[in-house]
Amino acid sequence: MTDATMTHAQTPGGSLPRRSLSRRVLPYAMLSPAVLVTLAIVFLPMIQTAWMSLHDYVLFRPNDFEWVGLQNFRTALADEVFWISLGHTVIWMAATIPAQLLLGLATAMLLNQHFPWRPLARALIIIPWALPSVVIALMWVWIYDSNYGVANEFLLRLGLIRQAIPWLADPDTALGAIILTLTWQGFPFFAVMILAGLQSIPKSYYEAASIDGASAWRQFWHITLPGISGVMMTAVLLRLIWVANSFDVIFVMTGGGPGYATYTLPLYAFVKARTNLDFGYGSAIAVLFTMLLMVVVVIYLRRTGKAVE
Amino acid sequence: MKLARIGAASALALAAGLAHADSTVHFWYHFDNADNPMDALVEEFEAANPGIAVEAENVPWNSYYDQLYTAIIGGNAPDAAMVKMFAQPRLVEMGALEPIDEQLASWEGTDGLQDNLLELTKAADGSHYYLPVQYVVLYLYYRADMFEELGLEVPQTCDGFRAAAKALTRDTDGDGQTDVYGFGFRGAKGGHDHWASFTLGRDGVSLENGLNSEAGIAGTQFVADLFREDKVFPPSAPNDGFQEIIGAFKAGKTAMTIHHIGSANGMVEALGDKVSAAPVPECGGGRWTAFGDESTAVLSSASDKEAAWKWISFLSSAGNNARFNEATGQLPVVKADSESWSMHPQRFVEATVDSLPFAHLLPNSSATADFVNTVWPTAMQRVLTGDITAAEMNEEITALFDD
Repeated sequence: MTDATMTHAQTPGGSLPRRSLSRRVLPYAMLSPAVLVTLAIVFLPMIQTAWMSLHDYVLFRPNDFEWVGLQNFRTALADEVFWISLGHTVIWMAATIPAQLLLGLATAMLLNQHFPWRPLARALIIIPWALPSVVIALMWVWIYDSNYGVANEFLLRLGLIRQAIPWLADPDTALGAIILTLTWQGFPFFAVMILAGLQSIPKSYYEAASIDGASAWRQFWHITLPGISGVMMTAVLLRLIWVANSFDVIFVMTGGGPGYATYTLPLYAFVKARTNLDFGYGSAIAVLFTMLLMVVVVIYLRRTGKAVE
Repeated sequence: MKLARIGAASALALAAGLAHADSTVHFWYHFDNADNPMDALVEEFEAANPGIAVEAENVPWNSYYDQLYTAIIGGNAPDAAMVKMFAQPRLVEMGALEPIDEQLASWEGTDGLQDNLLELTKAADGSHYYLPVQYVVLYLYYRADMFEELGLEVPQTCDGFRAAAKALTRDTDGDGQTDVYGFGFRGAKGGHDHWASFTLGRDGVSLENGLNSEAGIAGTQFVADLFREDKVFPPSAPNDGFQEIIGAFKAGKTAMTIHHIGSANGMVEALGDKVSAAPVPECGGGRWTAFGDESTAVLSSASDKEAAWKWISFLSSAGNNARFNEATGQLPVVKADSESWSMHPQRFVEATVDSLPFAHLLPNSSATADFVNTVWPTAMQRVLTGDITAAEMNEEITALFDD
């Protein structure tokens, strides 16, 4: 093979077109394994999900794969649990991502200051993000436990509550408790991303602003924030998709309960498909949610694009 | 030369090994106890049955049936598996099970099984697909020391139960906080047995009939009132599962709960003689408790069904069955093994035997799996948190079984 390549390269006239052809083909050849794998493990199941959503397909009746058109979608839109889950998904996303962002921003600002053991603090802050979701979920279940949990013990000792609160068993507090857990898990991602953004802002900007008499707040508003806005937008966009799709923490902490108090759409789709084995209906919920998420992503991308311009 | 000899010897040994295992039985089971005797049982079986190899896989319980159904659909089903009755209608509907009537007719171990077990595990179509391997019956665990301290009798009726639960719920250290709750109720998945003991024993009430009658609704309302009015369950009850109810009882946070003999040794280890057991109380004219079954089955996709049958019948044979149940903490299905059973303190065996006359299985219906997995837990939690009424919950369950 090497010999043949050399022979062609040495042939006057034939070497250039062949080299340019290979240059054009090489990127595709290099990318094709990744593309093929992505097609096989992402796009093929997506198409299969869309196809299943148009059928009445219950796993324990594998031979009844009946075409029902949009019936599953009509059923979903008339399903009370779908709307409850959608409402919780909106609250879930609207509360978790800003909370993670603000906590991450504050942490990044702190970690950007000079203080002893700073490298250690920067390393430790990543721990919640590095832990598996199941471990985090189980850990917080114990923190919230109404009999032995440290959350209740702490609040009781401070005199802030008079009776232990069953945080995860009360429908009024369960979703909030899980949002707090996910905020704790996800803020290091924002902190690390924003810290990288902060370090890329030249110090001379701050020096110039100081000489001009700008206050710390004006420096933050006019130098820091524009300097990290690109990173923040990317991080928010990524987290928006991840948080929307994540249900592992909810599944382990409450399984969606009590009742439907912590049901979100991905969890509802999972329960319908995996537990009730109703793959047709579960797929329809998943497809509906993907479409809703796509709208959000497209709107956000356009806004991001405009902001960058 | 020497290398060639070694190579030839290895090839021969490999060939001999391959020839030795004419067929392999892939077996799925679920044991909580990682230190279980399965490897030893497999070794003994393989020694007694040359030509058959067993590959036994311990599949985590939480996703056992999800994985089993998916494996069946995906064409990767095991040849034999541990199975419960609630899954039987679905597995039969999927055509995933192999009938074992002929094998049972000619097997010498059939007569040695506990009476009625084969009748209980018979499918709706009249065939046998399941070979029982262990069983339990649910009963009431109670703190004998607390009952004695308060001068209480073990409750025989729902009214007595309610009175006892109220008395047992107390602040023992005077800090204004409830330290002990009367009953540890399992509000999460798997707790239908608790609810059923207070509801399905009532006159004319079953999951398929009469659940939305006055008596049926009274049963659900009784549970709701215990939590919402009497506050005799821990506040976490709507989300509490197996670990929580057993943990709370062992820790002295609850004075009563319902479970089977599988927990007895752990309870005794934690509480000694302070824990005892009795049948569940009579509610509304009758008693109802759950018969906890576990069987093995040969799957219809098994490559060597005869070998798979040999393996599952080995597990339900005298001696082997006792060792199997020593690992699970449940009761052997073989009469001879039951007679020599000494693994549990007698009071728990007695509570089990006393509960047998009114022990029931859930309906042999395809709806049962949804009832257990999603409909009951969600509806019960909604009743406990005041989201829906007892009548609405019973209506939802009735609609499920009517479909």
